Amino acid sequence: MIEYVWLVPLLPLAASLIILFVGRESDHSPMPYVGIAAIGAGLWISLRVIFDGAVGAAVLPFEKDWSWYSFAADLGGRAFIFDMRAGVLIDGAAAVMLAVVCLVSLLVQVYSLGYMHGDTRFKRYFAYISFFTASMLGLVVSNNLIVTFACWELVGVSSYLLIGFWFEQKAPPYAGKKAFITTKLGDLGFFLALLLTFTYAGTYNIVRLKEAVAMGYLPPVVLTFIGLGLLAGAAGKSAQAPLFIWLPDAMEGPTPVSALIHAAPMVAAGLYLVARVYFIYLASPAAMEAVAWVGLATAFLAGTMALVPYDIKRVLAFSTVSQLGFMMCALGVGGYTAGLFHLTTHAFFKALLFLCAGSVIHAVHTNDMRSMGGLSKRMPVTFLTMAVGSLALAGIPPFAGFFSKDLILEKVFEHSHLMFAVLVFTACLTAFYTFRMLFLTFLGDGRDHDRVAHAEESGSVMTVPLLILAALAVVSGWLFEHGHAFASFVGNGGAAEAAAEAAGHGTQAAAGHALNPMVLAVGLTAAAVLLILLAYSLYGGPDLSRAARIKERFLPVFNVLENRWGFDAFFLFLVDASDRLAVLCRWLDTEVIDRIFVDGWGLICRVFAEISHLFDALFVDQAVDGCGYVSRDVAGRGLRSLVARGQVQEYLLYLAVGVSLFAILNK
Amino acid sequence: MELPLLSLITFIPLMGALAVLCVPKENRRVLEALSLTAAAIPFALTVWLYFAFDRSTAAMQFVERHAWISTDAVRIDYYLGVDGLSAPLVILTTLMSLIALIASLGIKERFKEYCFWFLILEVGMLGVFESLDFFLFYVFWEITLVPMYFLIGIWGGPQKEYAAIKFFLYTLAGSVFMLLGILALYFKADPHTFDMLQLMKIHGSLSFRFQVLAFLAFYFGFAIKVPAFPFHTWLPLAHVEAPTAISVILAAVLLKMGVYGIMRVNYPMLPLGFEWFLPYLVIIAVINIVYGALCAMAQNDMKKMVAYSSINHMGYCLLAIAGASATGFAGAAFQMINHGIITGALFLLVGVIYDRAHTRDIGAFGGLAAKVPVYAGLMSLSCFASLGLPGMAGFVSEFLCFLGAFPRWKIYAAISVIGIIVTAAFFLRMIEKVFLGPLNNKWADLPDMNARELLSVVPLAVLMIVLGIWPRWALDMMNTTMVGLAGLFR
Repeated sequence: MIEYVWLVPLLPLAASLIILFVGRESDHSPMPYVGIAAIGAGLWISLRVIFDGAVGAAVLPFEKDWSWYSFAADLGGRAFIFDMRAGVLIDGAAAVMLAVVCLVSLLVQVYSLGYMHGDTRFKRYFAYISFFTASMLGLVVSNNLIVTFACWELVGVSSYLLIGFWFEQKAPPYAGKKAFITTKLGDLGFFLALLLTFTYAGTYNIVRLKEAVAMGYLPPVVLTFIGLGLLAGAAGKSAQAPLFIWLPDAMEGPTPVSALIHAAPMVAAGLYLVARVYFIYLASPAAMEAVAWVGLATAFLAGTMALVPYDIKRVLAFSTVSQLGFMMCALGVGGYTAGLFHLTTHAFFKALLFLCAGSVIHAVHTNDMRSMGGLSKRMPVTFLTMAVGSLALAGIPPFAGFFSKDLILEKVFEHSHLMFAVLVFTACLTAFYTFRMLFLTFLGDGRDHDRVAHAEESGSVMTVPLLILAALAVVSGWLFEHGHAFASFVGNGGAAEAAAEAAGHGTQAAAGHALNPMVLAVGLTAAAVLLILLAYSLYGGPDLSRAARIKERFLPVFNVLENRWGFDAFFLFLVDASDRLAVLCRWLDTEVIDRIFVDGWGLICRVFAEISHLFDALFVDQAVDGCGYVSRDVAGRGLRSLVARGQVQEYLLYLAVGVSLFAILNK
Repeated sequence: MELPLLSLITFIPLMGALAVLCVPKENRRVLEALSLTAAAIPFALTVWLYFAFDRSTAAMQFVERHAWISTDAVRIDYYLGVDGLSAPLVILTTLMSLIALIASLGIKERFKEYCFWFLILEVGMLGVFESLDFFLFYVFWEITLVPMYFLIGIWGGPQKEYAAIKFFLYTLAGSVFMLLGILALYFKADPHTFDMLQLMKIHGSLSFRFQVLAFLAFYFGFAIKVPAFPFHTWLPLAHVEAPTAISVILAAVLLKMGVYGIMRVNYPMLPLGFEWFLPYLVIIAVINIVYGALCAMAQNDMKKMVAYSSINHMGYCLLAIAGASATGFAGAAFQMINHGIITGALFLLVGVIYDRAHTRDIGAFGGLAAKVPVYAGLMSLSCFASLGLPGMAGFVSEFLCFLGAFPRWKIYAAISVIGIIVTAAFFLRMIEKVFLGPLNNKWADLPDMNARELLSVVPLAVLMIVLGIWPRWALDMMNTTMVGLAGLFR
């Protein structure tokens, strides 16, 4: 089956084209099923790949490529025609990612059948979703960094289309643009890294590149720059500090799209990229350290920002950013498996949480939690599944998030105690804000009676995906942790970790500093439970006045958090500054370069023309007239005398003098 | 006897132009049919050329050589031929001419003269790319000027006379210097010759001083056409005033004559001058890229915005040439083709909205995507192609341009990437303001694109995607020539 793995991205791609161009837009269009069938087939193939890989029927990593195009290249001082090949490279991480992306996308599409029902562009929505999924799957399988980059950008453009899907309003198109431009800003780093890669390694094939790095063909400083460039790209896509500003706005899209963006297909891309070229980071301690710090800053900043919003989707958005920071930090400290493990479990429970939020929004037609409350009785399935997702996110055993977060913290502890302390603090925040959201939405009294009283549980097309994801959120952590199944499949039994150790990462792991896993687990769980109780005491009852008083007390802090630590303002300032610069350039172009430089030449020519015209009129013409006068005078008298005297020679002499004078003056 | 393919391609439009003169101007149908045929046959022949082209050699192909003016003192040949640099441009020219002519069918007044001048223009453009004799090259180069002058000056917008005369004088000033360069090379060569291939072989005998001076003379002529900073200001003006189809030709083909000239003349004939100029060229390229993009961002007129984006895109060509590498040359050659296709489509699309709304002010619209979905889709597609979205043609060539320049000019290439983000910003802002958001009710009855408009834009849209996914079909034509070009002085 593994030799057909290239079909996995191509099937949804074909589906998206079919959906877009075949048939008419209608609520009863059968076209969405084309997308569902395609992604279902993709899921089946990727599960078979995992199964075959696990039982040894297929050898991982699996690589297969084809000649794509060729271009004139110069390497080693020689010009020749370079054969660009593109294809698939499947290792454990890629196989797992494929399955996760396919599964989440499948569930989201099924769910969307209900959620998007009645939308004026029902069919087009499914075309975009399929395209989005195809781009992400292409990114996962590609063995060529150029193709990875191409798919990467296509993920960006499809997110642009989906975030701005309801383009008749003002906010969604703006959010879409913001997402595209912000991620593109990071992509400039990716772009430069690609230039460096080919210039020094002469290949874009990931396997060849790994060999080149292993052979030491790339100088360390180049490796660091490549690592930092790729990190910039990853920071854009995976919403890391300071480029995370686009993700909360991306909530303007339909909620299933948010689920998709946040769970697997988009934000995972950056982490996956870092994991895919992990060998570069292993070879460059500086870049690796940068990864860790970026992740840490992201986790902390976003964790604090999630404490204050009243928009249910924004809480989830900030929590995603924070969790991505955890994963990035894990990768940065050498926790390859831990990072990818959390990525996988997070995909399940975050998709679950978003789809639950979508179910709630679908029922009450608002995102604002201040208008919710008391929904647990009206929407029991949604409440229960969302509670499961929240427990997983908060890291309560035995839910999925517990295992993966635990693993990350262990890894970070070995690397740096400071980082560990910050992350533990952030993990506690996670428990608090998650349950703040849950309690505000489902417990207490219905604060907006009109909305809450009319809320109804969503139909089965929406609740079944919730139940499936909830089941995964319960078991996936335990399942994968069991017998280190995930570690041995994805991480080759800790090969990357061993390499990281060897490369000098995980510095404080020396003698006896390793953390007792039991202590960590028990301590974290106890802290999380305490914070959940705190959240309950503040937001669980019908009386929210205590929470309001706290907000009153710490208003400056709340303001800083609500303004997202000023990051948005900073980027708006950048946009404004570049606009001013553009206007300055426009002015320079029309008023200085065109008017002075170009038209100035014209003016100089005109001035010269005027001068010669004046000269012509004043001297030459006068001279001619004078000649005429003289000649008339001379000739007048002379001619008569000539005629009278018959001296033709004299006439010719006058003529010659007149002509030569004319010629000289008129020169 | 072998078929004189290039002559047929070049002179069928001329015959068409002469035939057009014989048709009474009331006979619009006949005029349309005639001029379309005169543009379609050369295109069909270039399709043949595409398939018959030998991709494994860097030598000139389809060569035709006959003595034209032959005296004891001077020998001028009728000498045509194409290689991997010029053949794609010839194909681009016939394609864009046909498409621009289809787009011109909406012209109401003085249609007969329009067709005449248009076809003459096509002759000139094709000749420039095919000529291998400098004298012939110059003749064709000048032939493009006159029709362009009339096409802008008669069928243009409110400031047409000013734009036409500015275009004419500016480019004429450039070509005077070029003529100077041609004559200088002619007299330096021993024996004196206008044979361009021969002139590529004499650089060994040319002193550094001479090469620098001759380089500057040629560069001045070509840089105005490209247009390279600071000689670019005629372009936005000419574009804004020119009728749609002429803007298409201007952007798609005429600008390429400048880049082509630098690659065909300045680099191979005057390598020392070229080498001397590189540090300046790369700075000019960076200015074109970043400054052009910033200027585009500040425009309110869609057409002016696209015009400035052309300056940005031509900057990528200059950057690539400054890399003086095989990849760079391939990037520049491919970028020329892609820019022709993409910017051509953009100008056509701007024309579509202008025909309906009689305004191009970006701020005057809003929410059109709900009203004119096909138009919005094609426009967005072209914008994404132009901002270098992977999967579309512009990305491949832009990337090659950067890749070609990077080994030599790392810092400059790194600065130039700013152009990429600015380009993305102004195209997306335009899409947002024109197509998205609440519908501006003023345009509630705006009709979507008609069949003629679709016929002119859709082929270009298809090409953008095909060449983006499968660039082999274009690059294979160029590669061998570019490797040869880069290897000239190694």
